[in-house]
Parts: sequence; structure tokens; C-alpha cells
Amino acid sequence: MAMDSGADGQSHKAHRSRHSGASAKKKTKAKNKDQNSDQKQQNPKAFAFRSNAKAKRLQSRAVEKEQRRLHLPVIDRSYGELPPFVVVVQGPPQVGKSLLIKTLVKHYTKHNLPDVRGPITIVSGKQRRLQFVECPNDINGMIDAAKFADLALLLIDGSYGFEMETFEFLNILQVHGFPKVMGVLTHLDKFKDVKKLKKTKQRLKHRFWTEIYDGAKLFYLSGLIHGKYPKREVHNLARFISVMKFPPLSWRTSHPYILVDRFEDVTPPERVQMNSKCDRNVTLYGYLRGCNLKKGTKIHIAGVGDFSLAGVTGLSDPCPLPSAAKKKGLRDKEKLFYAPMSGLGDLLYDKDAVYININDHFVQYSKVDEMGGTTNKGNKRDVGEALVKSLQTIKNPIDEKLEKSKISLFSQNPNSSLEAEDHNRDSDEAPKLIRDIEPLKQYQSNGEEDESEFDLDSSESSDQDEGVPEGAMLKSEGRNFEEGNADASERLGRVKEQVEFHNGRKRRKAIFGDGVDHSNLKSNEGDEDDDDDDDDNDEGENDRSNEDNESCSGSEFSDGDEEDLKSEDDGMGNISKWRASLVERASKKQNINLMQLVYGKSASTSNTSANEVKDDSENEESDEDEFFKPKGQRAKNSIEGLDGGNINTEDCSKSTKFSELKNWKEEEVYESIRDRFVTGDWSKGALRNQMLEAKTEEDDMDGDFEDLETGEKHESHQKDDSSNGGIQKEDDDAIEERRLKKLALRAKFDAHYDGSESPEEETDVQNGGKFHRSQANDSGYYDKLKEEIELQKQINIAELEDLDETTRLEIEGFRTGMYLRLEVHDVPFEMIEYFDPCHPILVGGIGLGEENVGYMQTRLKRHRWHKKVLKTRDPIIVSIGWRRYQTTPVYAIEDQNGRHRMLKYTPEHMHCLAMFWGPLAPPKTGVLAVQNLSNNQAAFRIIATAYVLEFNHAARIVKKIKLVGYPCKIFKKTALIKDMFTSDLEVARFEGAAIRTVSGIRGQVKKAAKEEIGNQPKKKGGQAREGIARCTFEDRILMSDIVFLRAWTQVEVPQFYNPLTTSLQPRQKTWLGMKTVAELRREHNLSIPVNKDSFYKPIERKARKFNTLVIPKALQADLPFESKPKNIPHRKRPLLEDRRAVVMEPHERKVHALVQHLQLIRNDKMKKRKLKEEQKRKEVEAQRAKDEQVLRKRRREERQERYREQDKLKKKIRRHVEA
Amino acid sequence: MGKITYKRLKGSQNMRQRLLLATLKSTPVLIEDIHADDTLPGLRPHEISLLRLFEKLTDDCLIEINETGTKLKYKPGIIVGGSHLVHDCGVSRAIGYFLEPLILLGLFARKTLVIILKGITNDSKDPSVDTFRSTTFPLLKHFGVPSEGLKLEIKSRGVSPHGGGEVHLAIPTVQHLTATMWTDEGMVKRIRGEAFTTRVSVQLGNEMIYAARGIFNRLLPDVYIASDYRKRSEAGNSSGYGISLVAETTSGCCISADTTVSYPRGDEEEDIEGEEKKELIPAADVGEKLASVLLEEIEKGGVVDSTHQGLLFLLCALCVNDVSKVRVGKLSPYGIETLREIRDFLDVQFVIKPDPSTGTVILKCWGSGMKNLSRKTT
Repeated sequence: MAMDSGADGQSHKAHRSRHSGASAKKKTKAKNKDQNSDQKQQNPKAFAFRSNAKAKRLQSRAVEKEQRRLHLPVIDRSYGELPPFVVVVQGPPQVGKSLLIKTLVKHYTKHNLPDVRGPITIVSGKQRRLQFVECPNDINGMIDAAKFADLALLLIDGSYGFEMETFEFLNILQVHGFPKVMGVLTHLDKFKDVKKLKKTKQRLKHRFWTEIYDGAKLFYLSGLIHGKYPKREVHNLARFISVMKFPPLSWRTSHPYILVDRFEDVTPPERVQMNSKCDRNVTLYGYLRGCNLKKGTKIHIAGVGDFSLAGVTGLSDPCPLPSAAKKKGLRDKEKLFYAPMSGLGDLLYDKDAVYININDHFVQYSKVDEMGGTTNKGNKRDVGEALVKSLQTIKNPIDEKLEKSKISLFSQNPNSSLEAEDHNRDSDEAPKLIRDIEPLKQYQSNGEEDESEFDLDSSESSDQDEGVPEGAMLKSEGRNFEEGNADASERLGRVKEQVEFHNGRKRRKAIFGDGVDHSNLKSNEGDEDDDDDDDDNDEGENDRSNEDNESCSGSEFSDGDEEDLKSEDDGMGNISKWRASLVERASKKQNINLMQLVYGKSASTSNTSANEVKDDSENEESDEDEFFKPKGQRAKNSIEGLDGGNINTEDCSKSTKFSELKNWKEEEVYESIRDRFVTGDWSKGALRNQMLEAKTEEDDMDGDFEDLETGEKHESHQKDDSSNGGIQKEDDDAIEERRLKKLALRAKFDAHYDGSESPEEETDVQNGGKFHRSQANDSGYYDKLKEEIELQKQINIAELEDLDETTRLEIEGFRTGMYLRLEVHDVPFEMIEYFDPCHPILVGGIGLGEENVGYMQTRLKRHRWHKKVLKTRDPIIVSIGWRRYQTTPVYAIEDQNGRHRMLKYTPEHMHCLAMFWGPLAPPKTGVLAVQNLSNNQAAFRIIATAYVLEFNHAARIVKKIKLVGYPCKIFKKTALIKDMFTSDLEVARFEGAAIRTVSGIRGQVKKAAKEEIGNQPKKKGGQAREGIARCTFEDRILMSDIVFLRAWTQVEVPQFYNPLTTSLQPRQKTWLGMKTVAELRREHNLSIPVNKDSFYKPIERKARKFNTLVIPKALQADLPFESKPKNIPHRKRPLLEDRRAVVMEPHERKVHALVQHLQLIRNDKMKKRKLKEEQKRKEVEAQRAKDEQVLRKRRREERQERYREQDKLKKKIRRHVEA
Repeated sequence: MGKITYKRLKGSQNMRQRLLLATLKSTPVLIEDIHADDTLPGLRPHEISLLRLFEKLTDDCLIEINETGTKLKYKPGIIVGGSHLVHDCGVSRAIGYFLEPLILLGLFARKTLVIILKGITNDSKDPSVDTFRSTTFPLLKHFGVPSEGLKLEIKSRGVSPHGGGEVHLAIPTVQHLTATMWTDEGMVKRIRGEAFTTRVSVQLGNEMIYAARGIFNRLLPDVYIASDYRKRSEAGNSSGYGISLVAETTSGCCISADTTVSYPRGDEEEDIEGEEKKELIPAADVGEKLASVLLEEIEKGGVVDSTHQGLLFLLCALCVNDVSKVRVGKLSPYGIETLREIRDFLDVQFVIKPDPSTGTVILKCWGSGMKNLSRKTT
């Protein structure tokens, strides 16, 4: 159009298209083609299937494809905010790993990262956070990294090609549940030749595909610009990462784990000073991943060992997702990043201190100088200074506080004053106890700082419920620097959003504990009585520390009975997240009553954890107390039968009492339950049933305490209840159910919709459109399954949302995605000493029964790239679950009859069974085996992969054994066999065993031989020889026979395992464990022992001499003559007949000569005749052959002639016909 | 390797749940002061028998008892199960006592459990085998246990004091239990039951049935109580009679009650209830009383009766990681004890909310995610 308008204005020379020549021809051709195709497309039948079979085939293929795409839907139990995805950047050294992370971080946050150390968390999108980790180059680091990676970026030096590390890492990933993998080719600027570059790319891509799957993404980074990867390419890579979907992996969804991004030593400095090699207490920070973490869970720190948690606290998210405002993209302010172990960001992590970096213009000096105090830890601050600061930090003026104090009085826990008293008394009574706890408390307080800090902020900001106690504030103030601007947090009630960040900077305190404040805290507890919230908090803390102390030192927990009375939330109060409106609190109080009655003491875990440790009878008593503790309440609720507190009460599930029965014959009595029967009023019955659904929702509402707005609500509900409401309720219920279903459907749709972004899913959608009917039929079950799962999820969410935070925590543990602080006690000091931020710490939760050790049976296959077969009982290092340990497997194979036969070596290309001893892992867990951890070996380090079949407490691998014996005395069919057994006891063990001689005569072991039968040595004065067995055979054996006993004997699997403690030594040092026999031999220069008997020698067999058969005379006499042995005695001299000479008479001699002559003549004649005949026959034959040949020739000619004639005739006829 | 840390407990109370949970969770336990102050200290015969049973079902478990029997060390093994097992439960407690833990053990065993249990089938102290058939098995169905494999055959009935009963039990294995939202108790639509007599007149059974029906008929017409008359070899070694009733609701809940009347065993047990000490209760009274008990159970509400509360809680706690929600009537002492044991062993706590309008209690929990780890993979 524009052209036209232009043409109007000014006349240009029009384009003249060619009418002749090559290009014109081409054009016309193309045009024709186009037209043709157009025509074709216009034909609607053109693409219908012409062939029935083809249609069928295509459809079945489509269905097959569809089915192949389906996976068993996995329930995703992470309900809240997801933790950041871990992107592990892996590759051989010098391939550009750190540079990639740096450029990616720069891309996301516009910050330059000087050093990549430890995990780096960044907010990459509105819904997504990423955590970048560089994979260390040693095999241990690779194994650990594979266990927490959500996405692995495999960096490959394009100019060099693949290196072993890449394949090793791929293998490790595969074994530990294959996370997403993307290859990245670097160093492509080394290619000068474009063609070569293209070819190399192609080649590498295809090799990569064979390893993963066809079409796996391989990304190319073409080169460096100013020492960084090109911006555009990094941008593209980031986009690839941002659309990546991460499927749940079964091991990880069933185990909680944490990738530690901050790590501190919180051992009291005095203890370290006293003994620098004392066991340390450490805190580990990180996002909880996998599944929910319960408080009692044990953890495994990779490379260190198993520990029980001394404390877990949920902290506010240091790198939260942006608030969900409707806007496109991220604001700069929200592009946070958090990398405490790296140099940049808020914290500089050093071995013994943490330095905090603050931009000057963000500093508000009045508040920040505390930080100075914190950084030079241990320095006591001036009292005056502290006072001034306390004044500065107070947000609420005193008059406000006074106002609120009223409210706090109102909301006060009825027994809180009692508690406070108790506490007071406790602290007075048992100063010694507290002394004990003190050091512990200090670092406990360390962690507390975090939470109390936020607590403080929020309590100030939310400023409706209660005044902040001055004491508490002082305390927290004493150790915390104030949060810069907490005002932003006021908007949002939730903790996650409470902390505001400045350009990705979040300031955090960092002290290793200073004793001053502690007394402060204690005194606090003594006199505070107006605020139950913080009181609870402190108590909880105190309580917890008590427990902690108990669990580690075994000191007694004397104040248990008072603790019992405390309300449920005490133990949980320390969770900073805890924030409840008054209504919630009220309702909670109500329903805690029953829980309190049942569970007694609040701190649930204390019981068990204390129980587990050494015996402290005190504790048990407190336990026992609990049974008959809250007397009043129990009586009120009429739960009797627990009476007596007898620990030996009879174990009876039935508790019917026949004595106090109502008289059900009376009308009013039986009419009272009429509605419980179908004969009664159905609507009332339904009401009863539905009540609970509505009730659960409403329970929150009708507490003994009501707020203004909620009170209104509550009343309206009450009206519902009171006004007949049966149908109403029913409706409510139905609505509720419908709502849930709808939610489920929506979520499913969402999932589907999200998925459609990926091409695979898209085709699926199209398919769905095409084969509408068929799909509905096929994936009905699949859809149902998915829907069920979604429904369950919605139910879970609904039910859990119902609870207040504290109870919820108690019930389901810490949710995934929370930022947690784990405290672990008694960690070897080497972990601190050799801590290297470049080696990320993996903390994995130990599942059910996984701390036990036993035999595991695995199905193992030697890796095809490992050059040797593996030898039984040679130590290998395996990685199972979170653990790595060295163990000695015994290889076996299952025989046809189910017997597990030991193998000395693994088969070359086959699976075999491997049994080894170690901490148990659930069946189906992948196992990876390596033998050598050193970096310098060139070959492939992974020796085998396996997976756990079952675990067992008893090994049942057998091997063949062959006992050899020789007859020492033979009776008829019985023989005494010596040398087979060494003692009579052994013989007794083998009674009845089957034996066999070399010649094939079968027999059986009977018993140890008696002396008098064949055991002569004693008679001769020597000792009776033991181990001679009396055996019977099916036939008489010979003295020269050898007797075998073939049996199976149990093979012992060595009970050995050696956890890899690679974190407890310098990283560059290779971990040394048990050596293989071969290694030992090499070291000590020992030759391989050879058994001479095993050598092959030429077999020399003497010809066997058999004696002649002798038939007894009696038998011979009975035999018929025919069968009688006719043995003519052997003669030395020939018989007389042979020896005599014959002398003839003269006449006789003449006759004899004549006969001889005649015979001679005749013979000669016959010979001549024969010759003649022969000649004649030959002549005849030659003649005949000649004739034959001639005849054949003639016949052929005749035939030819005839055919020619015929042909001519035919032609003639044809010609005639044609004519 | 390393030393085993035992979980320390005291007293013989809740021995069954403790051993069961210890086995499922594979935590070694050490129980002290078992009947330490009694005139006859130490483990009771049925407790020993229970330990034997556990030993039989598990692989490589370790049980140590000191000389007086007041201290028990138990290191659980792997639950194997298997068929062709026979266990003599003795006569100090009924088979019901053993069945309760056995069911859960069987579900988490490696192989399907098929076992013959010998002893007292019906007792006033423990739920009878009829109740297991009629109530407990349907209860398991709510947690995803296939009903095909569940089987309990009563070959012969035996009552105290001499027992002589025999039941054949088969329990399938499961991979895991599914969570349930089971709060709708429904309305009672029918009542079924079984009255049995061993080595006594048939008439007694009929009397019981007649009396029980007399109570129910005012409320519900659909009442059917079968009579089971056993004699000779099927009747065990002692004489007695009893009745078990189960009320089914429209939502599939089963509420049961049962009792047995027989001569008590005359040995060390001195604290047997008064009424059984002297004369046996007449059959008509038994029927009437038990009917009343059932009505009282119905009145209490909840999806299970008070006897099954413990089992219900255990099942909820052993579910996959999902929320289970159940409604029970008044919490029974046994149920409370079970809740505590679950808390101690499995680290699972229930949210307990009373529902004042109906007098029931609603319990919610987040399952522990127990999986059958002993099953072999191929």
C-alpha cells in the first residue's frame, strides 16, 4: 500500500520481471507447484486415510505415543513457597564454571561477583528463585552436588571435547534420580575454521544425545567479550533456565534436605580456648527442601556423619520472592541475592569471623554501630551506649504501650502468671542447673537473636495485640542491630515479607555469643508477667535449651512437672513466624485443652529425646507423672481409667463397663438416640454428621474470646446453627466439597496449562483435540488418578490452613521452602577447621529406619567403562541416599532354585547381586560405587552402579564346598572314610549327607566310626583318630576310590563399613580407607600366592591292569557248558600234530604233481579268457558311446527342424489371421 | 556398627503398642520395671507369648529378658511374615490381644502373613475374633487395605479357662496406607451379630439373641443375630457362651460390642470382675446388657467404637504424608495411651478438637509417611 501511495506521488520505473531465461523458468515452475499444492490442499479428501490398515496403524501409534508420555502422577506435597531451585554448574577444571555463575549473577542482579564460594541465591523472576552452586572437582563433591542439584549445567570445553568428569557426573546424576541436565559448550572461540566448528558442535551434540536423550539441550557459548560471556547468550541461557520444569524425584520428595548456604561455629569461645580440639557446636542455615522436616528427625551431614538436631528454628527468608503485585517483570529492588559464603553481598565469610558489608548511604549511624559491636565479637559494650540505643530502638512511645498493656492483660493466658512464678522459682531453685545450661543458652540465644529480631519488628509493626516488653526489647536490642526499615513489613502480616531489603542487601547480625545479655534475659523471665507472648517465647527457648542440655549432657530435668502445665504453644513459641490474631489465640486455647490433656507436656520431643539418652530416672519420673498430672481437667472431661498412674496397667483395648449401663428399655432413654438410626429423623442425623465439617471451620470462631469484627461473623454463623439449619448445613457441606473439587480441578488445569508451554505438552493438547473421544477413553484412569491426587492436596491444604501456625508446625513439621537454622552439637572440630565454602555442605534428613545398620542386597552391574571386574570383599566406596561409605561387598548370583551363590568376581557384562553391610537404605534406592577417590587417575572412576533390592539382617549367600575323603576300611557296602572330617562332631553335623565316589557310586554318611570297628590306632597304643565316618554306598567301593561330599556353606559378609569423613580433612587430601588386597600387595611388594595344585600339568595316566575274571568253582559247576569258561591251558610248545612231518609214496607223489599241473593250466586258461572278455566289453562300450552321440546329434537337428517348421506355421497362421 | 541406643521405657503398660511401634519404626527399646512390685514379678505369660509372636514374625530380632523378667531389651528385626506359621497364644489372654498388633505387623511385612493362632477366641477382656471379622477388617478398608486378602476363619472356639480355640488369619501386605477423611458417622441402618455357645445348650444362645433383639426392635427392624452352636472338637476345652454385635451405619462405619461369659481361670488373677467371680450371668441378661453396651457405643458417636480407637489412631499415624481426619466418640483410655505412644515413637501429633454439639472428638493428623520397607523389589 505504501508503495502505491508512493507511486502516486512519483513515478518510478516499475520492476520488470524476467520472461525468459533460467530464472523465469524457475519461477514458473515454482508457481505451478504452488498452484498444484493449493489445489491439493483444497481437496478435503486428500489427507484422509485411504487405507484402513494405515489409519489403524497411525492411530495405534498415536495412542502408543500418548501412553509412553504418561508417568505415574506423583503427589507434590510442597504446599507453600518453593525453595530456590539449585543450579549446579559442573565441568572439568578450567572450563569456565565460575565465570558462568558470575555472568549469570551479573545478568540477574547487575552485581559483580568477585568470587564464587558457596551457594548463591538470587531472585530470578516473580515466581522463581535460583541457587547457583559450583560443583567441586573431586568425586566426593560431585556426588554430593548430584544429590541436591535440580538442574545441572554441564560445562564442556568445546575445543577439547568431552572429558571424563562430565560422564562421571552424568552417571552420578543418573543413579541419584536424574535431575534436569543441560550441556553448555564453551571455548568455542578457539576454532578459527567455521566449518570445523560446525562439525565439532554437531559431533558433540550427538554424543551428548546418546548419553541423555535425543534432543537434549546443548547450549553454545561462543566466546568471551571483555572476559565475560556474551550478554545475549547469557540472556538466552537464563531464559532456558527460567522455563525449565523440575520433576519431583522420589528420593528427594521423601527426605528433607538442606543445602547449607551459611555455616557458623557457635561453640563457646572459652571451650575452644581451653581445648582447641574440642567438639564444636555449629549452626547450619539453608532452605528446607524435599519434604517437611520434623523436629525429631536425625540428620546426616555429608562427609561428616549422623547427628541429632539440637535445635531447629525457622527464620525469615533472606531472599524472599517479591510481593505478588500485578506488574511485569522484577523491579531492581526485588532483584535480591544472598550469598553469605561468597565475598559479595552482605556478609563476607571468613574462617573465624563474619564481616558485614554495608553501603555507606544505607547506614543509619545511630543504629548501625551496634554492628561494629557485633563484628568484633566478645567485646563488651558500654552500658551507657546500650541504654541509649535501647531508647533509640523503641518504636512505640510509652503511652502507646500503656494502652496496649490493657489488651495484653486481657489476652493473657490464665496460667501464665503461674508459669512465670514457676519459672522464677525454677531459676532460683536451681541456679546450678542454669549454670550448666548457660553456655548452651548463649549460643541458643544466638539463634534466638534472629528470630527475636523479627519477632520484635513484627510485634512492633503489627502493633495491635500486645505491647513489647521493655525487657525483651532490651535483650534483643542488646544483640541485634535493628532492622533498617521495618515499616514496610507492617503492611504484610506474614513473616516472609517482613524483612525489607535494600538493593539485595540484608544486614544480619553476626556474633558468636556474648555472655552479658544472658543475665538480662534471665532476669526478664523472672519479672515479666504482662506479656504472655514473649514470655512464652522465652520460656520456650529456655525450655528448649533445657532439653538440649539434657539431651547432650544427661543432666536432670527437674522442673518437668511444672512444665507440664504450660500451654501447648510454649514449645513452639520460639518460631518467629508465630503470629496469631486474638481470635485465633482464643480458639487455640480452647482446642488445646484436649490436646494438652492427651499429650500433657508441651514440648513433645523432650520426652523421647531424653528417653533415648542415658538413663535418668528423674526424667522417667516426670514421664510417669504426666499420666496423672492434670487431675482437675481430666476429671472434668471424665476421662478416667488412666487412674492410679500405674505403669503396669493392663493392656486392654476394651473398656466397657457392664455395671453402669442405662436402662435402654425406658422410652426416653432409647428415644434419645433415635436419630442415630435410620428409623429416626434423617435431617437431624445429617445435621449431626455435617456439624463437624461446619464445625471445624467455625471452631475458630467460637472461642471464649471474640474480636469485634470476627465476633459479628461468629454470630451470624450461630444464627445459622440455631435456626433449623439442617438443610443449610447440608448445603454448606456440599458447597464445601464442591469448592474443594473445583479447586482441585483448577489446580489440575493450571498444571496442564503450564505444561503446554513445553512443546511436548502442546502436542498432547493437539492430540486431545484430534482424538477427542479416544483420549477420553484412554486416559480416563490417568485423569482420575491425577484428580484424586489433586483433591487430596486440596484437602490437605484446607485442613492445614485451618490450624494456627504453632499447631501446624507441631503437626506437620517445618514446611519445605522455609529458611531454617539447624543447630548441631558435638561436631568434630575438623569440620570447622577444614571448612571450605567451595565445597557445599549437604544436610539430609534420615528417614524411617535408615539409621539402623544391616545387610543390604543390591543388584549391581559393573560399569562398562571400568576396566576390571570387581573382586569379592575388596572394599568399595558406595554412595547410597545421603551417605557415602566404604564397605566390603560379597557378590553373588541367584541360581535357578533361588540359592544365592557367591561369586569371586563380578560378571563381565551382567548384573549380579552384591550384599554388603552398612546403614540401611529403603529398597529401590540407587547405589553408586567408586574405588578410588583420588583426582589424578585418568580412567573412569565409577566402578559400578546398583540399586537396593531389600535389606536383611542375615546374609544368606552360600558357596560350594567339597570335602574329600579316602576309604580306610571297606566292609561289604560300608566303608570307613578318613580325612573327610576332622572331628566326630563334624561327622555328626553331616550325618545323612550324600556322598559320591569318583567312579560314581553314591552313598551316605552314617555316623562317626566306632573304635572297635576300624579305628585301630588305639589298640596299638596311639590316640583314637577322630573324624572317621562310617558311610554306606550302593555298591562296594574300592580302596583306590576317592570319596567326595559336596555341600553348600554360608559365606559371611563382613560387618564392616567406614563412613567417608571427607569434610574432616583438607579437601586436597584424598581420603584413605581400607585398602584392597591388591593395593596392599603392591605396597608391601608381595607376590600373589599361588597354589601349586592349581597349576595345569600334563596328565599322566598309567595303563590300568585288570586281574582276570575268576569264577568260583562251585559256580562254575552249576553253569551250563556253554557259559562255562573254556580256558584251554596255555602251552609253550606247539602241539604234536603241528610238529610231525608227512612222507608220500612215489605214486602218490606223481598223482599229486599231475593234479598240480592240471590246475595250473586251467588257471592260466581262465586268466586269458578273462582278459579277452574284458577287451571285448570295452570295445562294445566305446562303440555304443559313439552311436549314442551321433544319435543325439541327429535328434537335436530333427527337433530344431521341427520347431522351425512349427514356428513358421504359427507365423503363417498369425499372418493369415491378421490379414 | 557402633552401640545401639535404646529407647528407655518403664512398666508393662501399652506393651503391645510399644513393641509394635518399635518394630515398625525399628527403634530398639528397653523396658524396665515390668511388674516389679508385684508378688510375682516379671513378664506375664501373655506378654512373653506376645514377644514370641514378634520373634516369629520378624527376622533377626533380639529379645533379652533378665532373670526376674522385670527388664526387657528388644531390638526389632525386619518384619518377614510368611505362611504356615502357628502360634499358641496361651490362655492368659484371648487371641484378640494378639490380633490387634498382628494386623498392623502383617500389613507391613515382607510376605503375606498366614498364621494359625491357638488359644482363647472369646473373652470378656479383649475384642473377640468375631469383632475382628465384622468390624476391624472393614475399618482397614478405609486405609486402602485390599479386602480380598484379609481373612479370619474360626476353626474352633475356645473360651477361658482352658481355651482350645483356633483361628486362621491371613493378612495381605501393603506398600503404604492411604490417608482418610472419615468423619461421617452416618446413621445405623442395620445390626448384625453372632451368638455362640460352646459346650452348653443351644438354648442359651437363643436366649441371648432374643433378649438383644428385644432391645433393638424398638429402634430398628433390621436386626439379625446368627447363632453359632459349637460342639465337640470345634468347641474348645471349656464351656461358655457369648455374643458379639455390630451396628452398620449408612456411611459404612461399624460399631461393635462383644462379650463372653465363661468360668474364669482360677489362677493368679485375683482382680477379675466381681460378677464373674461367683455365678455366671444368665444368658438373657448377657444379651440385654450387651445390646445396651452397643447402644451406648452408638450414643457416643464416632466412626468407630471405643475399642477400635487405638487401632484407628495407629492407622492414621502410619499413613502417607497426608492429612487424616477422623471422628471418634469420647476418647477411651486406651486411645489416649495410644496417642501418647504414637507421639513418642512416630513423632506424630494429633490435633484434637471436641465437637461439643455431638459430644464427639475430631482428630486430625499428618501421617508419618510409613512405607513398607521390608517388601522386596524385583
